[in-house]
Order: sequence, then C-alpha cells, then structure tokens
Amino acid sequence: MSLLRGLLGMDLIRTWVRLFLSFREKLALLDSALLLDVPLGVISRIEKMGGATSRGENSYGLDITCKDMRNLRFALKQEGHSRRGMFEILTKYAFPLAHSLPIFAFLNEEKFNVDGWTVYNPVEEYRRQGLPNHHWRITFINKCYELCDTYPALLVVPYRASDDDLRRVATFRSRNRIPVLSWIHPENKTVIVRCSQPLVGMSGKRNKDDEKYLDVIRETNRQINKLTIYDARPSVNAVANKATGGGYESDDAYHNTELFFLDIHNIHVMRESLKKVKDIVYPNVEESHWLSSLESTHWLEHIKLVLTGAIQVADRVSSGKSSVVVHCSDGWDRTAQLTSLAMLMLDSFYRSIEGFEILVQKEWISFGHKFASRIGHGDKNHADADRSPIFLQFIDCVWQMSKQFPTAFEFNERFLITILDHLYSCRFGTFLYNCESMRERQKVTERTVSLWSLINSNKDKFKNPFYTKEINRVLYPVASMRHLELWVNYYIRWNPRIKQQQPNPVEQRYMELLALRDEYIKRLEELQLANSAKLCDPSASPSGPSQMMPHVQTHF
Amino acid sequence: MEFSELIRTGQAQAELLRGPEAPPLRGTLCVTGHHLLLSPGPQATPDLWLLLLRSVDSIEKRVAGDCGTITLRCKDLRVLQLDIEGVEATLNIARSIEGLRLGDAWHFHPPERYYKRVARETNAWRLSEANEDFSLCPSYPRAVIVPRAVNDDALALTARFRQGGRFPVLSYHHAPSRTVLLRSSQPLIGPQKRRCAEDEALLRAVLAGSRPGARGFIVDTRSAQTAKQARMTGGGTEAKAAYPGWKRLHRPLERGRPLQESFVHLVEACGDLEQSMDHWLSRLAGCRWLAHVKEALSTACLAAQGMEREGACILVHGAEGTDSTLVVTSLAQLILDPSSRTMAGFQELVEREWIQAGHPFQLRCAHSAFSHARPKHEAPTFLLFLDCVWQLGRQFPLSLEFGEGMLLALFDHAYASPFGTFLCNSEQERCLCEVRTRTHSLWSGLNQLKEQRKLRNPLYVPNPLALWPSVEPQSLRLWQGLFLRWTRPPEPSEAAWEKVWQIVTDQEKTEGSQPTVSASELQL
Repeated sequence: MSLLRGLLGMDLIRTWVRLFLSFREKLALLDSALLLDVPLGVISRIEKMGGATSRGENSYGLDITCKDMRNLRFALKQEGHSRRGMFEILTKYAFPLAHSLPIFAFLNEEKFNVDGWTVYNPVEEYRRQGLPNHHWRITFINKCYELCDTYPALLVVPYRASDDDLRRVATFRSRNRIPVLSWIHPENKTVIVRCSQPLVGMSGKRNKDDEKYLDVIRETNRQINKLTIYDARPSVNAVANKATGGGYESDDAYHNTELFFLDIHNIHVMRESLKKVKDIVYPNVEESHWLSSLESTHWLEHIKLVLTGAIQVADRVSSGKSSVVVHCSDGWDRTAQLTSLAMLMLDSFYRSIEGFEILVQKEWISFGHKFASRIGHGDKNHADADRSPIFLQFIDCVWQMSKQFPTAFEFNERFLITILDHLYSCRFGTFLYNCESMRERQKVTERTVSLWSLINSNKDKFKNPFYTKEINRVLYPVASMRHLELWVNYYIRWNPRIKQQQPNPVEQRYMELLALRDEYIKRLEELQLANSAKLCDPSASPSGPSQMMPHVQTHF
Repeated sequence: MEFSELIRTGQAQAELLRGPEAPPLRGTLCVTGHHLLLSPGPQATPDLWLLLLRSVDSIEKRVAGDCGTITLRCKDLRVLQLDIEGVEATLNIARSIEGLRLGDAWHFHPPERYYKRVARETNAWRLSEANEDFSLCPSYPRAVIVPRAVNDDALALTARFRQGGRFPVLSYHHAPSRTVLLRSSQPLIGPQKRRCAEDEALLRAVLAGSRPGARGFIVDTRSAQTAKQARMTGGGTEAKAAYPGWKRLHRPLERGRPLQESFVHLVEACGDLEQSMDHWLSRLAGCRWLAHVKEALSTACLAAQGMEREGACILVHGAEGTDSTLVVTSLAQLILDPSSRTMAGFQELVEREWIQAGHPFQLRCAHSAFSHARPKHEAPTFLLFLDCVWQLGRQFPLSLEFGEGMLLALFDHAYASPFGTFLCNSEQERCLCEVRTRTHSLWSGLNQLKEQRKLRNPLYVPNPLALWPSVEPQSLRLWQGLFLRWTRPPEPSEAAWEKVWQIVTDQEKTEGSQPTVSASELQL
C-alpha cells in the first residue's frame, strides 16, 4: 500500500518495509528479517507527527499508541501525501465504531473444531457447586434483564427470599445489582455473595428489605451469627460515595454483620498506575533507578492489595467463619477481581483450563464487567475516563499466583498472555460489549467466534506440564511485596533486550522428557510383549543374571 | 570426577572368598573410581561382583610368596577376602582401595590437573613449582601455571613487584580464541613509579604465547582514581608506556566493608516483617546488593567478551587480587567454558579459583549478616559470586548441571561447615594445619548419591555456547531462595522440583531397563 520506514519504538530496528492492511483486521509489516503483526484492535490512538515542512530523519509520519504497552512509529516519505491515505484507512478500520462499521469479530469467519461458546453453561456450573439446595435457589427473575440490566439472566438467591423481595432489594442497590451467590463451599456451605453498594446517601437512608435480605443470607448457615461484608474500597472513598447517593452498610442498620474495607483504589488510579509502568518500560527501560521507579508506579502495591483482599475473602469462607458479601461501588470491577481470585484460591476446578474459562465467563463476562468501556473496543476516544486495566490486573494476580504455585495451574503463561492479547484484538466476540443483555441483543454467540474455540482446539500449547491435579487444596499466595514480581514477560516483552523465551525453555525441556519417557515405556511394553510371547516357547529360557549386566554397567 | 591418579593398578587376577556359605569367585579384579569389580571368566557364571569402595571400613594386606591377600571389612559388617596373583599387584590394589575408599577428593582439583588440560590445548604455558615452599607468594598454591618463556628466577622477581607476591598466573585458557585469562594483585608502583622488567617481560610473553597479534586488556576492578591513589601506599596500576600491547580498563567493583554493609542491610530488609510494605522496592534498591550483582556480572562479561569476541588476553586485578578479582575470573569462565558448568567442573572451578587461589575464607566468612561484632575483614565476596551464578542459572535454566541447592550448600559451608574444604585463608595455612589429613573434603560429602537430588539440575542439557547474561536491572532478581529461605513457604516450589526429578528418574529407569530387555532378547 505504501512504502514506509518503520521505526519500532526502539531505534534498534530500522528497515524499509511494506505496510499492509490485511483483511482489515491487522497491521502487518513484511520484510525478510522482520514481521510485525499487530491486530488493529490494539490501536488506542493514531497521530500524525511532523508536517510538510519538517526536517530531519524520521520526523514525518505516523505515531500509533497501542493498548498492549507499546507504541509504533512509522516514518514516511514526505512527497506525494502518502500519509493522508494511510491515516484515513487506519483510523477507519482501527476505530470502526466511529465510522458505523462492524467490529472485526463480526466479519471473522475462522472455523475451529471446538465451539468455545458452549464452555460456560450457568446451570451446569451451579449444579457442579451443588446448587440449588435447601437454602439457595436458581431464579429466572432476570430472564429479560428487567430486574438488573447488567446481571446475567440466571441468578442464585436465598431460598427464603421471594421474587418480590428481590425487586425491593434491587431498588436499594446501585444499578439494581442485588446480592447474589457466586460460590458456595462444598462442605461448610458458607458462601461468597456479590453485589453493588447500598444507596444510603447523605441522609443515611435505610431499607428494611435489604437488611432482612442480608440476614436471610446469614441464616443460610444457622450456626454462624455474623455475616462479613468486604467493601473493596478505601473507607474514605466509601464515605465520599454517600454524596452521590451510595455508601456502605452501617452497624446500626445491619445487625449481625461486620464490615471491612479493603483499600483497593478505583479504576482511575489503576489506569494512571499502568500508564506509569509503561513510561518506565517503553520505549526504553528506566535503568538507573529501576527499582525505585518501579515502586513509584505503585502497580505492584495495587496487585498486593487486590491479592490480600482476595485472600481474606477466601480465608473467611474456607475456615467456615462466616459467609462473605463483597462489593465496591457498582460491583463490576474490584468486586469481580475479589470474587474470582478468591474462587481461584478456594476451588481447584477453576485452575484447570476450562475451569478458568468458566470463571472468566461467569464472574467477569456474565456479571457485567464493562469490557467495552474499560478497553474501548473500536472506539477512537483514547482519553475516555472509563478505560482501565482492571481485567489485566486480575490476570497479573493470577500470574503471580501461578509463580508461587508452579504445579497448581493447568495452564501456562502463554495462556494468560493469549487471553490478554485477544482482550484487545477484537478477533473474537468473547470480550465484546459491557453486559450479557447487550451481547444477547447483538447475537454475539451466533455472529462471532469465541476465544475459547481457539484455545480449546489447541490445548496442548497452553498446558503447564508441571500441573498436578489436587482436589480441595486451598491456595494462599504470599501477598507480600517481597514475593511479588513485575511480569516482565508481559509488560516488557516488546523490548528486544529482554530475552524472548517463548516457549519457556524449562517447560519445553520438561515436555521433551515426558515424551521421551512415554516413548521408552511404550517400547518397553512392546518388547516385554514380544518377550513373553517367546517365553511361552519351552526352548527359550529366561536369563536372569544376564539382565543384571547392562543394569550394572549403567552405574559407570 | 577424576580418580585416575589414585588407581595404581587397574586390574589383576584374583579369587574372592565371601564367607563359608557362598562359593568362591575367580576372575579379573578391577578398581574403578567408586567400585571394586570382579568379572568372572567367560565360561563361568555371568555374575558380576561389585563392591562400593566407600563401604570399605578397614583394609588389611598380607603377602606370601608371589601371592597376596587383602581382607576387606565393610561398614555393613561383611568380611571379604581377596587372593590376588602377584605381590606388586596386591600392594598396588590395596593402596588404590585405601586411597579411594575415603572418597578422598582432596586431590581432585589441584592446579596440576587443570594444567593437564591446558597442556593439551597449548604449549605456551608451563607448570611452575617455584612456590613449592610458599616463599614467593604465601597465598598461592605450590604449583601455578605461568608462561613457558618465563623462568622461575624471573617469577621470584615479579613476585616481589606484586602485592602479597601474587604475580600474574594463568586462570583460564580459552582454546577457541587461543587467548588467556590471568589474575594477579596490583603492581607495587609506589610514589616513585617503580618498574619491574621481569613483570613487563612476563606480560609480553603472555601476548607472544597467544595468537599472533593478540592484544591485552588489564581489567582493574578499582576506579581509575582509586588505582592512582593506591600509589601513595605503595601500590598502583600498570603504566601504559611500560606495558605495550596492554590496555587498561577500570571497572570499579565494591568490596570489603561496603559490600558487607550492603549484605547486612539486605538481610535486615528481608527479615524486617514490620516494615511498611510500600517501600520494599526502594529499600531493596537502597541496599545496593543487586547493583553489586550487576557490576560483577557485567565486568565478567567484559572480560569474557574481550577473549571471545576481540581475541584479547585479559589480566584481572584489583588491589590484593583475592576478592573481586576472583569473582570476575571465575564468572568469566562460567560464561565461556561449558565444562565449568557441570557438577564436577563447577566444583573444580570453586576449588581452583577460590580455595587454591587464596580467597581468605576464614577472614571473609568469620561472621555473616547478623553479627554485632564490628566487621574487620568480613565480606560476602563469595556470596556475591554465588548470587551471580544463580542469576546465570535463572536466565539459562537448562545450562547449569547444578541447581540452586548446590549454591545454597556452598554458601552454608563457606560460613560454617563440618568439612575442611573452606577452612583457612590459603594453601599454606591449610598445609600447616594439616587440613587434608585431619578433616574430610566437602566435595566427597556433596558427591554422595543421596545428596545429588538436592544439588543437581534435573533439566540440564549441555550447552556448548557461551552464556551471555542480561544485566539489565529488570533481568536481575532478588535471590529469594537464599535471602527469603526461612521466611517463605517452601513447599510449592519444592513440589515442582520433586515432580521434575520424578520424571527424570522415571525416564532414566525406563531407559536403563530398555536395553536389558533387548539384551535378553538377543540371547533368546
């Protein structure tokens, strides 16, 4: 299309390349030595740099900011206005929403031999948890998303709460996101319940139905006299939310509850923190004061707080001390992080590949984490205050856990990176739109392919060879700063100085050994089979001592 | 592991009496590094008799006529008698068993052995015993490798020109580029700018013995200013004019008290559980330990690069040449030399480049990080080396035959050990204290089979290439296995390790039994 001089951030790779827009979804550079392959979905911002009068090498061209921690810069020739056409086409296809074009996932005609959309079936998942039971029922009250438009159609609520009760509770919870069950402990039957903040407001409003409802939840465990509420926010923020009609459960109104704040900051703080991380790793790694600059981003501190919160939730439930209610403001960001991480710690099922897909599908996608707003799929408004790396932060926490428990997860690092890559790529429908009702309206499952189709049709690539299945083991990661690391293979992967170890050499070597062992065992069995066949022949005699010989020799 | 020096006679005809119940066994007796073997003649039963030498508790020999008898009493209370043809053979076998049964690794790694390897690669170097009585240099071993063109008299004069007598000696010969790595202490230039013709001739001879047209780099582990200031106290650094062909590079490495303080602060920070978590990273940075690791690794890379890429000879020294010098020379070898990355090779490297090379372990490791005593000579130089090796192992997880366990064991034993290997400050002191006869060697302790799982890297694959580590700050990590060893839950990572071992041994087992089947099948 256009002859460009590509400058990939670092001045290290300078080469004449051809820039292609292939099939409208990817930006690709073709060159004998280099292949750049960027899904247009990761583009956050396109800027023209320099003008017709700019002097100097590489001063005229395009500057592309990506959502995945890198920037691309293309220097163009000034003659012939080649840039204008390029800019228009890129803008059009990178930001289809502004041009009334469909997102690429709707045009993608890839076929896989597995259908990822069938991975998550809420009824089956709740049945796996042993639901419904005497205390909890599945309700279809939200079938048409009338009770709460950001919740899934299927909800699990206390058996003793009627549909009318639910409707009354919804009026007192922000965006009608009432407390519903996320997970139940298979033995002690304590539960993790998620919701949004109560609409207490400045005047300290109360709602008898909401208070009664929480008490009903507590009573599903007769022997326990307290219900624990974890408010993910810092207490200051929770108080400040009263000004906009929100708030938290006060002691006076909610007897038999105890409330803890988990001090996790909001989406804006997280966005700024990640921005700082990008500043110190791209295009050049801040070398002279690496550790202190890393500290000044506070990214690892936020990771620590999220993990610590999740550990507290998991510990409450696993020890059977009490059931837990988790909320933040709207209950779709920090709440999703906390419930899903706690569930990952408590339930080994979610540590398998399919289990993790179900966890993401359930706690994040179906419960209305606003992927469209947080990522900004196909949207050109790069400065949108709604964007925030909440899901990335969750995946980072999972990675930290997988570092600390190398045998506990069926999936490997590549699995996590692949999920993050397709969080932005728009190649699959999995992360499109903000909530289930929207996806239903857009018929996403019919018109797009699921990311899980890609992964599940090639599972071996994403498997952790060290995985040892352990049922009922609760993982408590160490959430101390000493034990948290920056995820270098993700955040600094575009830096050519970082050794690209893909796939991980240890994993690969281990796989080789596994394969070798299997092969030997197979050959051994074949030979033994052949041997025993001959042994039936009376003329053949077993030669016991001679079998010692080679065995002995292997010692030297 | 090389035992060949201890085996005086490899084979003899013998008869084995194993007690009243078992029939006597006749055949060829063989002594190997670990075992005594009796292989019966071809017509007899195909049984091979085998005894682990370390299980021998006592040995007794008698000679009568042209036959000899050796009685072996074993640790498992067995008594065995060997009747051997030939008096000479009997005595030699008895002596070999005597030497080997202790697993006496004391003689495993003297410079003589490394010289054998160098001699195979080049004849420009010779083994000098000029230091036989430690008179030239009290901190060097008896034998050192020096240029063939330099005689012992010249060495004596050179020794007087170098601090502590540490004249330049060969540390490593890099055969592919035909260049060498040397180490020494600083030259005693002093305020009068003294020169020493023999010292200059020695370095000239080094270049002449290398590939034609080779240049030399002197890596001084002090800053240019410190090196210059050292002249006031009688030291200094090589003047450019006096050493044509040699170029000086200054790479300041921390040593002594500041290094010890860095270590103490790091251990404090790691153990301080009260400390506000928000400032962990800046506290870690403030300890500067990782900065020291980075400097040490990059200086070693510089030396290795000079040899491999530029074809230059390298001389490394600081002041005394017993601390940061050794960090650099030993790391450079690990980077370049695949054989130093094996279990045996690494032990040899530590023995040769640290113990024999006169790193004063006794002084440096008298106290660790918790002692309230004011540090005088303590410095974690050896730990710095181990940390660098750990970083290398983390970046090249398959290329070292030993694992983290080996490095931890070396750290532990350097500071306190039931073995004699790390005792004393130099070879001379070890001779005076009779360490070799009165203690056991750490290497024989470590090379016991039951230790191997803890020490080896199950995923090791020999890597013939040089290992160029990344020294970018984000590539270097805190060595959690050491610094957080007692505060972190160890189970998860140990479980993964155990799993790898299991698969490796499974695979070896099946691999081992597989030919068994085919062998028996052949006979059928």
